[in-house]
Amino acid sequence: MNLEPVARPKSAEPWKKTTANARNLQIVASLVPSAVTAAAWLLGGMDLIVSILFVLLPLQLLAMGLVGLILKGKRGVPDAALVVMTFFFGTFVMVLLLSVLWSVVDAGFSALSPQFIFQNNVYVTPTTGLEIGGVGHAIIGTLLVVGLSTVITVPLGVATGVYLTETRGKSRGLIRVLLQAIAGLPSIVAGLFVYSMLIVTGVSAFAGWLGSLALVPLMLPTVARVTEESLRLVPQELRNGALGLGAPSWRAFLMVTLPAAKSGVVTAILLGVARVIGETAPLITTTFAAANTSLNILQGGLATMPTYIYNYISLGFDTSIARAWGAALVLLILVGILFGSARYISRPKSLKPKKKKEKR
Amino acid sequence: MNTEKFQLEAKDINVWFGQRQVLKDVSLQFPSNRVTALIGPSGCGKSTFIRTLNRMHELIPSAGLAGSVFLDGQDIYEEAVDPSTVRLKVGMVFQKPNPFPTMSIKENVISGLKLSGRKKEISDDLVENSLKRASMWTESKDRLDEPALSLSGGQQQRLCIARSLAMNPEVLLMDEPCSALDPGSTRRIEETILELKESMTIVIVTHNMQQAQRVADRTAFFLADDNQPGYVVEFGDTEQVFGMPVDPRTNDYVNGHFG
Repeated sequence: MNLEPVARPKSAEPWKKTTANARNLQIVASLVPSAVTAAAWLLGGMDLIVSILFVLLPLQLLAMGLVGLILKGKRGVPDAALVVMTFFFGTFVMVLLLSVLWSVVDAGFSALSPQFIFQNNVYVTPTTGLEIGGVGHAIIGTLLVVGLSTVITVPLGVATGVYLTETRGKSRGLIRVLLQAIAGLPSIVAGLFVYSMLIVTGVSAFAGWLGSLALVPLMLPTVARVTEESLRLVPQELRNGALGLGAPSWRAFLMVTLPAAKSGVVTAILLGVARVIGETAPLITTTFAAANTSLNILQGGLATMPTYIYNYISLGFDTSIARAWGAALVLLILVGILFGSARYISRPKSLKPKKKKEKR
Repeated sequence: MNTEKFQLEAKDINVWFGQRQVLKDVSLQFPSNRVTALIGPSGCGKSTFIRTLNRMHELIPSAGLAGSVFLDGQDIYEEAVDPSTVRLKVGMVFQKPNPFPTMSIKENVISGLKLSGRKKEISDDLVENSLKRASMWTESKDRLDEPALSLSGGQQQRLCIARSLAMNPEVLLMDEPCSALDPGSTRRIEETILELKESMTIVIVTHNMQQAQRVADRTAFFLADDNQPGYVVEFGDTEQVFGMPVDPRTNDYVNGHFG
């Protein structure tokens, strides 16, 4: 018998066999509803959204349902309906997200320039042109404030997640309930709490570290719960394997369980940062604002991106609103850079040898 | 038989999960350099019993236990004994291969030493030696730095055996080590077991009668009636348990009449 491998033929995916007839039917069924919708919108003067929802969706369902019925019989109808609905709502959500992204890019791009990213706001009035001043001081402020609260929250949150999964502590149920309760805390309450406890009582004036404190309870539930979930996904057999080799439980955790859950824990931290990096209310009440660049997180008001955006949006001048949009875009880019680099640093290390081996 | 030294001895082991008793008064002796097989139908408590021998049992949250296990004359359940030191001497191979997924083949072999803080003992010789004893060396010597999960199921299980052997345990517990493996891998593991008993005491849980007859010197037959705790029906030399069992229930089981 000849066992030589042969080149893969075009027909190697028999499950994709489609007759010309079926394909034509599908093309017609996808084009007709779109055409009718376009006509209703452009010629009939119907609102675009309304025509998509009340013309395109029902027509598309009907058309694909009919095609399903013709091609596959009765069981083809719900199948086609599900495909149409999934595609429709998937596209819907995608368009929503992209339009949010686009409006930030569109409105903020004109403000972007090296000077906008690096300069501070000392000589800027609400009507100053965009060629002077920028968000440099707010970038630094945000990095400082969010950085400090990350440094405080990550050990607490990860330790809480570890307590919830790796121990048999009696208060696990209570802790879960409390975490859920904190997760529902309106962020301004966290800010006002710090304000009333530390600023009103005179312990400190507005300062960056107070903002970090206010962000901790907002970040903690996310970090703790996501860490818990990712540790829970580590199979018990791995822990048993490590303990069965005579490892003390702390070494088993550090060397086996935690590495197996690493990407989940990183996700927990990133989600925690994402939760707070755009928070405005708790920072307005604690770090306040500033026009100058300050590296001092312990004393004096500190500008941050969200409060910068808030301030300039509420001033209401064209130039100040343009600044706010620019700052929003910078914040978006900042988050992208932070997350991208965190993912890159924590990527699973490749155990494979450098040289590629021949595949069997 | 009585003159032989018992390296490991379980005395009056009773086990509960929650309020339900699953093992009643199990006393077994495991002589040095012998293989002892634990056989019996599913749910009779064999796996539970073997996990009491190195204190893995207590990791199950609802577990309870009464009785003693003597390792070299010392009760491992005494208050002063740290379970992790017990597990250093009494290694375990699990039913499902469980190599550490974040480590390479080599790192898996030496993982036990790292996990127990004995890094100084790590050497290439030890890696080679452990893999050889688990008859894994020829297949893995050129790919020591590849991830452990790139191995087949049978190879993963032998890697887990090598990982236990690197710790040089006195006793090796094997909980149905071949149940997930094909006949070829099973045969290689059985050969490994026969070589290993020169240097250690082995306890193996198996559902495979032929396997018990091929590898075990001594065999214990466990049984549990409906909703009753499991117990040992018969314990003796393998030839006797399979050839002329004393208890009719043993006879029925080993000849495949029930179970």
